[in-house]
Amino acid sequence: MVMFLMVLCMSVFGLAISALAFGAATRGQAVEEQAPLSAAVDERLAAVPERFFVRDAAPEPAAALRLIPKVPIEVFLAQIERHIRLEQAAAESFLSAPSLESLHGRTVSPLLH
Amino acid sequence: MSIEQADMLNGVGAADAARLIALGSRLHVPTGAQLFELGTDAHDVFLIERGRLALTLPMRVGTRNEDVLVEERTAGQMVGWSGLIPPHRFTLKASAQIDTDVIVLPRAPLLEFFDANPAVGYLVLRNLASVVGQRLQVFQAMWLREMQRFVETRSS
Repeated sequence: MVMFLMVLCMSVFGLAISALAFGAATRGQAVEEQAPLSAAVDERLAAVPERFFVRDAAPEPAAALRLIPKVPIEVFLAQIERHIRLEQAAAESFLSAPSLESLHGRTVSPLLH
Repeated sequence: MSIEQADMLNGVGAADAARLIALGSRLHVPTGAQLFELGTDAHDVFLIERGRLALTLPMRVGTRNEDVLVEERTAGQMVGWSGLIPPHRFTLKASAQIDTDVIVLPRAPLLEFFDANPAVGYLVLRNLASVVGQRLQVFQAMWLREMQRFVETRSS
């Protein structure tokens, strides 16, 4: 009976020591492993666009800005009008003598140069 | 050029042309004034007797909407054929570049005249088809020229 109690006590004591040692050994390791993992995940998330197939970013105003002429608006409108007249003339020229050359012939429109 | 020689009346006899013109009324459009607006209901077609009309479409330039010239029509030519073709809505805006006189031909009496005189109706609508077809072909060619430039820009 005494022997049995002695073995039992030693087993409980050994178990407690093992538990403490395991706890001390794994506490630091868990912190070390989690830190690089979360850093890696953050980097990858940052690299992924807001949506996989569609950009969330609003349309860039640069496209609209490109349309703003650098010359006065009246001059720009006159250039557009001239361009349209020249294009119509070129189109009518194509219709009177249809050919690849007459279809894609260049005009002297200032908007094309 | 007399109005009886208008493109719309090509091939129509002088007497029939005069009867057709008599269905309309004359309207003076001062320089800069608007004859019809884009998107509005089209009840009439117009024959230009004198002057010049600009047909325009709106274009956004920077922050402004500007009317951009699409076509010009002068004496003897017709405008506003949307008045005869469903859904009877103007697809352009017309305004006078100089003092202009037009003959306004309302759709209802015009169609009644065509019903009563089918030979005249046939000729007028054939002339109309010619105007519409010519515009379509011109714009097809213009569109293709623009697409060609787009392709060249993208591939360069």
